[in-house]
Amino acid sequence: MSIGRVTQRMLTDGSLDNLQRGLGRLARIQEQLSTGRVINRPSDNPTGTTAAMRLRGSLADQAQYSRNAQDGLGWLTQVDAALDSVTGTVKRARDLALQGANASAAGPVAREALAIEVEGLRAELLSRANTTYLDSPVFGGVTAGPVAYDATGAYVGTLGDVNRRIADGVVVKVDVDGPDAFGDGATSVFAELDALATALRAGDQAGISAGINVLNARIETVTAARTAAGTRFQRLEQADLAAADARISLENQLSTIENADLAETTVDLKLQEVAYQAALAATSRVMQPSLLDFLR
Amino acid sequence: MPGSFGSITSALSALRYQQVALDVAGNNIANATTDGYVRRRVVGEAVSSAAPALWSRYDGHGEGVAVGEVRRMVDPLLDTRVRREHGMLSWLTSSQEVLARVEEGIGEPGENGVHAALLAFRNSWQDLATNPGGDAARQQVLGSAETLAQALRLQVANVAGEEADQRVRLNNVVSEVNTAAAGLAQLNQSILVTEQNGTDAGVLRDQRDQLALRLAELAGAVTTVRADGQYDVTVGGEALVSGREAGAFVVASGVTPAGDADGLPITFRVDASWGSTVLPSGAAGAGGELGGVTDVLTTALPSYRTGLDAIAADLASALNAQHVLGYDAAGAAGGPFFSYDPLVGAASLQVAITDPALVAASSVTGGGRDGANADALSRAGDAADAYQRLVNGFGTTVASLQRQSANQTALTGSLDDAREQQAGVNLDEETVNMVTAQRAYEAAARLMTTLDEVLDTLINRTGVVGR
Repeated sequence: MSIGRVTQRMLTDGSLDNLQRGLGRLARIQEQLSTGRVINRPSDNPTGTTAAMRLRGSLADQAQYSRNAQDGLGWLTQVDAALDSVTGTVKRARDLALQGANASAAGPVAREALAIEVEGLRAELLSRANTTYLDSPVFGGVTAGPVAYDATGAYVGTLGDVNRRIADGVVVKVDVDGPDAFGDGATSVFAELDALATALRAGDQAGISAGINVLNARIETVTAARTAAGTRFQRLEQADLAAADARISLENQLSTIENADLAETTVDLKLQEVAYQAALAATSRVMQPSLLDFLR
Repeated sequence: MPGSFGSITSALSALRYQQVALDVAGNNIANATTDGYVRRRVVGEAVSSAAPALWSRYDGHGEGVAVGEVRRMVDPLLDTRVRREHGMLSWLTSSQEVLARVEEGIGEPGENGVHAALLAFRNSWQDLATNPGGDAARQQVLGSAETLAQALRLQVANVAGEEADQRVRLNNVVSEVNTAAAGLAQLNQSILVTEQNGTDAGVLRDQRDQLALRLAELAGAVTTVRADGQYDVTVGGEALVSGREAGAFVVASGVTPAGDADGLPITFRVDASWGSTVLPSGAAGAGGELGGVTDVLTTALPSYRTGLDAIAADLASALNAQHVLGYDAAGAAGGPFFSYDPLVGAASLQVAITDPALVAASSVTGGGRDGANADALSRAGDAADAYQRLVNGFGTTVASLQRQSANQTALTGSLDDAREQQAGVNLDEETVNMVTAQRAYEAAARLMTTLDEVLDTLINRTGVVGR
């Protein structure tokens, strides 16, 4: 700007403007420091705002995936523990059947004892089959009722997948359908044990050996169901870890976009402070002199 | 041969002239900080009765000094530019202030805005999906839905409130335009009459320039100067002031006198004795503060509000469509989740369900503990994306207005500086003028004394040889 003629008012107005601008810059940095954020409103950085909103969305998603995976892990832990004990129980029943087959001549009292123990195992299995997690039977599908199997061994659950969303577009089933492990009604493990108990009482060798075969097959069925559940357990664990990792990296990105660099902002503040003080000093000097000071 | 008393007349004229110069300097100093005051300068003229003639000869050397004029140091071209840029600046700042205020209410990015409420709402569906039997999870869905609906309603109310305020402001600005236009027409007349009387109308001219600048700031009015010195003012190409007559500037449609919207686009009209004309709309119409307010009322605010309406409508329709596909805790088919009136917009968004058991989380009938529909509901619609786009668009508008008004402030500031260079009072300069006038006055007085002594010599001491 070329200045031909300078008036006192120009100086006053100009100084006031400059002081205002300096104070405005100071206020802006002050805001960044006190909020700790460089984006305090969308217009501060529209693109950054969108990125920050997207990152916040992803963060919320990942936190939810993590929660979902944790919940799924709870279900599958319960399923795994139940199936583990079921395998043991069925094996024990098979052992008893083998004893019964070998000791067929031992007399009705010994066979009766075996039969009673088998019936005890059946009761234990029933309680395992009705294992719950947070009041829901884990083998009962989506049933609203408290049990998956009734006392007769009939499946009373509602078949349906209990799913957990553990990543974008990834859904994992966290329960095991009761019939897949225990069978249903006449083909259920309960009916098999009932038949075994009956065969043991009667000393029916053919029935006992058929029971042994059936129980062997049942052990395999349960193990297969448990393996499948174990694989899904692993998937959930991995998803949980991945979600946790993603959260850390997303938080870092969000901080880079949204948060003020403390060192940089503090240095900026200092710079603006110095500039403002210089403007004040200059103003006080410019305002003072006039020709009148030098005329007597 | 000039007469003996000729020089006394010269000295007298000098005394008078320097008196005027002192007066003018004094007036300049007195008004050094007066808004709109334009400094004056005395222009002296040497007086001489020398004239070309055939038979007579002028053998004097001038008969002193007279006040030629007291000049107002204005530059009409510069004033025109100052007015234009001030009009533009006031357009930008008035719209930027309004939008910045609305923007503060958006609260993004942050943990308390609509976006955060959307995310919490989405996650509450996922929580329900993991625990479809729990009453707490159902209650949480309803709670977060209410929070979301409230956040949307609040933002719409913010925007609508700002619109109502701006409509009232529009009416106020219009009445101020009328006052200024009437004042300017009155001054046109006064200046003409005063100057015909031979009186200095400088103060009236100062006032008229200020009114012309105010009109430019208020309505982007363009002032042209007639041959006889009167100002004509046009707004949007239509004459508002013509000589001593001012038209009435009125809101033709869009805003009622009470400040309500009447559903029509905002237009203005000038009613005058030379006819009644509706101004063009948009950039060709009224400018300045009026243009800025009209602009935000016509584009920025309504488009943001309709954006929110669209988000609310999409949210309600997507959620309702998915919700009716599911079954509630008792196994009955779900009803609508949100209630929404498309005629009212986002302000009508409400959660339609109050009983937590009616939330249709299940995708199987029969009252099972299934969460598949809750999972689907958490993914229904793309309100978050649409809201991000909306906020981004609004933020970009505000940021670009801020940049433009910062530039315009700098430009206007430099023009104001240029005007101040021309018209402002410099105290040092006035002091120098004062001292000069004082010294010249002293010298003229000395001339008077000298002449007095000369005459004394001539009258009292001539012909007294030997006395």
